[in-house]
Amino acid sequence: MPITIETLDDSTCVSIDGELTIYTVAELAGELLPRMSGAPRLMLDLSQVTEMDGAGLQLLAVIQREADSAGTALSVTGQSVAVTQALELCRKAAS
Amino acid sequence: MSINLDQALQTFIVEAHELLQVMEQSLLQLETEPADQDAIGAIFRAAHTIKGSAGLFGLNPVVSFTHIVEDVLDRLRDGSVAVDSRLIAVLLKCGDHMLELINVVASRGEPLQPAALEREAALREALSTYQAPHHTPDTGAQHTEAGAADRANAPAEVLWHISLRFGVDVFRNGMDPLSFLRYLETLGQITQVTTLTDSIPALDSWDPESCYLGFEIELRSTASHATLNEVFDFVRDDCDVHIDAIDEASDSAVSIGSELVAQAEQGPLTASVQRLPAASEPKTRDGNYVRVNADKLDELINLVGELVIASAGASLLARSCNNDPLQEATSTVSGLVEEILDGALHLRMIPIGDTFNRFRRVVRDISQELGKDIELTISGAETELDKTVVEKIGDPLMHLLRNAMDHGIESADARRAAGKAGKGHLSLNAYHDSGSIVIEIADDGNGLNRERILEKAQERGLVASGAVLSDQEIYNLIFEPGFSTAEAVTNLSGRGVGMDVVKRNITLLRGTVDLDSRPGQGTVVRIRLPLTLAIINGFLVGIDTSTYVIPLDMVQECIELDEHQRQSSREKGYLDLRGEVLPLVDLREHFSHEGSAGRRQNVVVVRYAEHKAGLVVDDLLGEFQTVIKPLGKLFGALRGISGSTILGSGAVALILDVPALLNQIVQLEARTPQAPYSPTVVAR
Amino acid sequence: MAKNVLVVDDSSSVRQVVGIALKSAGYDVIEACDGKDALGKLTGQKVHLIISDVNMPNMDGITFVKEVKKLASYKFTPIIMLTTESQESKKAEGQAAGAKAWVVKPFQPAQMLAAVSKLILP
Repeated sequence: MPITIETLDDSTCVSIDGELTIYTVAELAGELLPRMSGAPRLMLDLSQVTEMDGAGLQLLAVIQREADSAGTALSVTGQSVAVTQALELCRKAAS
Repeated sequence: MSINLDQALQTFIVEAHELLQVMEQSLLQLETEPADQDAIGAIFRAAHTIKGSAGLFGLNPVVSFTHIVEDVLDRLRDGSVAVDSRLIAVLLKCGDHMLELINVVASRGEPLQPAALEREAALREALSTYQAPHHTPDTGAQHTEAGAADRANAPAEVLWHISLRFGVDVFRNGMDPLSFLRYLETLGQITQVTTLTDSIPALDSWDPESCYLGFEIELRSTASHATLNEVFDFVRDDCDVHIDAIDEASDSAVSIGSELVAQAEQGPLTASVQRLPAASEPKTRDGNYVRVNADKLDELINLVGELVIASAGASLLARSCNNDPLQEATSTVSGLVEEILDGALHLRMIPIGDTFNRFRRVVRDISQELGKDIELTISGAETELDKTVVEKIGDPLMHLLRNAMDHGIESADARRAAGKAGKGHLSLNAYHDSGSIVIEIADDGNGLNRERILEKAQERGLVASGAVLSDQEIYNLIFEPGFSTAEAVTNLSGRGVGMDVVKRNITLLRGTVDLDSRPGQGTVVRIRLPLTLAIINGFLVGIDTSTYVIPLDMVQECIELDEHQRQSSREKGYLDLRGEVLPLVDLREHFSHEGSAGRRQNVVVVRYAEHKAGLVVDDLLGEFQTVIKPLGKLFGALRGISGSTILGSGAVALILDVPALLNQIVQLEARTPQAPYSPTVVAR
Repeated sequence: MAKNVLVVDDSSSVRQVVGIALKSAGYDVIEACDGKDALGKLTGQKVHLIISDVNMPNMDGITFVKEVKKLASYKFTPIIMLTTESQESKKAEGQAAGAKAWVVKPFQPAQMLAAVSKLILP
């Protein structure tokens, strides 16, 4: 299973295992997005993500956007090197 | 970047030779079947691949010429140019020229000689008539990578602003916007990236596999505008790319991901990469083949040879120990060693087909030269034999074929006058026969002129004037050294020219050659060669304390001589073998062993081709795998010995040259007409 | 972990040169001599990028690309087509089949490396 979703009290814990890429985004989006509405807190565990590309980045952007608009508190509880590298690449502040 | 391509260049050279071979075969095929699309495809592919690969190594002369050939072949492929014999002839010559280019430019790294350049100019001229009319001569020179040049010439660092809006299909096309960002990082320093996500549509119309990302990037780099532009070549069709030089950092947009990263800094940074390691795939070439340096193979076979000897030594020792488990163990080892030996020898075996196929071109060219219509049939192309033999048999075969075409097969008119088809027929055939391989070259020409050969042989003192010879004996006289001379310019002259050289070359391969001819019907030359040069199955025999090896596949049977037989056979020099006359050679005498024969003597009946003889020896010692060591120069003159080997005990044994021994007997008896048995004369 | 690049070309010297260039940059290289061979190599291991010649025996490059695009686990894998300047039409055909990137033969090893690095890093 590439994605595990557990609901504890008012938190939804989501962990993604494996690729966060064009090959998996459709399935991940289908599993995850419908479960987001109504959860006051969303915990996202990305520590088991092995690979992340632009499509994965776009999915994270959508999750964040949806969380913001629904007033869900989003927190990332862990991220793998692959995720860190991808996020760093597309978020460089002027220095 | 400096990458050492030497080894790859060697691969290219080998590959180019193979491709040119394919090209030639296919051209010949096309000549007989002008509509063969497969052949056209194969020819095109050969030229195409050679050109493409040559470019990798910067072999511009090869690229430039091959480009024109490819151009014409492309037109041949799409039907703009029709196949005709002139085109085939030109393309065959182009193949030859490409081979020369490979050999000179690629192998030796030298420019072509003026003569070759002249040939090339003529070929270019000939090809130009097949090229498209609007064609401008292509120099084959490649545009250098713009970026590399720019970088070298423009060291000034510029701050670039790159604005990217990716198209919706970018992900689906296998492109990752992040990869382009990473690539930009290799060209300079990315000082700022803003990821734009505001184009992502609302959830209900969002397709996760469609791309709605945009980036605003600031890059400090010495790369030129053109180089940066090139980065996006692969996505340009459906993306907006704007690249501008700027002086200062521009605005900052809201960035996504900041929160995610910030949080991650406190979170557990588990960097577990859990993908299973990809199964290490063996790097295969051309399907299931591995190219191995022939030297390495020889080294291996040599070692296996030593292993065989060592294993035989161990077996001998074990046998003398009266230790059953030890004997069992050594016999298991011996069995395995034998299998390894078979396997190793098999590695060196290659089919004769490639060599045969090469002659298609030769036959075509020579028959055109001679104005004769000659067809070549090839059979047994899959017959395998030792690589060295295959390599060395090419020249003798070529010689025999040339002779057959030049002097064997008559002109079309003469053939029709003799009631034969106008088209001459040549055939090459190979097959295995009792431990050797036989190659036959047959023509349906006029056959040899028996009388002339006999006359000539007598004139040259090769045959005693009174000798009675069979037809075959006479025909085989043409292999005699000194038989032919330049003054023999008659019909049979060509048959004789260099035939002794052919025979010598074949003899060097431990082979024999003989010939059969029927007046008016044609000639067959049969070459008999050993399967391998390195190792033979030997049969050990003893004389006094010395040991000799007889190649096992020539041994027919062994007979014990009783006292009575010994007496009579010694007087007569032959033995009555079930009513057959078997000439005897007393090896004790032949090799001048001193002392008298033992109480018991044995006869080993050997056969080679159609000759049989009995070798008289003291003891029969059994079979032994024999690794042939060449004889030193000292023994070069020793008749009847072809090599030596080392026995398991460490002692040296001489290997008998049975064909030579048989010929000696045969010759001896041919000179004495009263001999009761006169086998055919085989020249020596 | 190094990225696997599958190099499909009937010319072993092209494969060797591409292989040397890519390995020097840290990629892992898998070789195949034609489309059919290459399809076999796609199973049982992860390939991150494919470089394919157009003109090959058994299965040509265009057919191969179309076949790759049918595979669920490879339909989004980047493919670089090896074309020649005389094959503009083949390049368009390759792009239509789904190979959006290309390198023109003959190429310098550095050119090949640049093309690959734009699509994936080692």
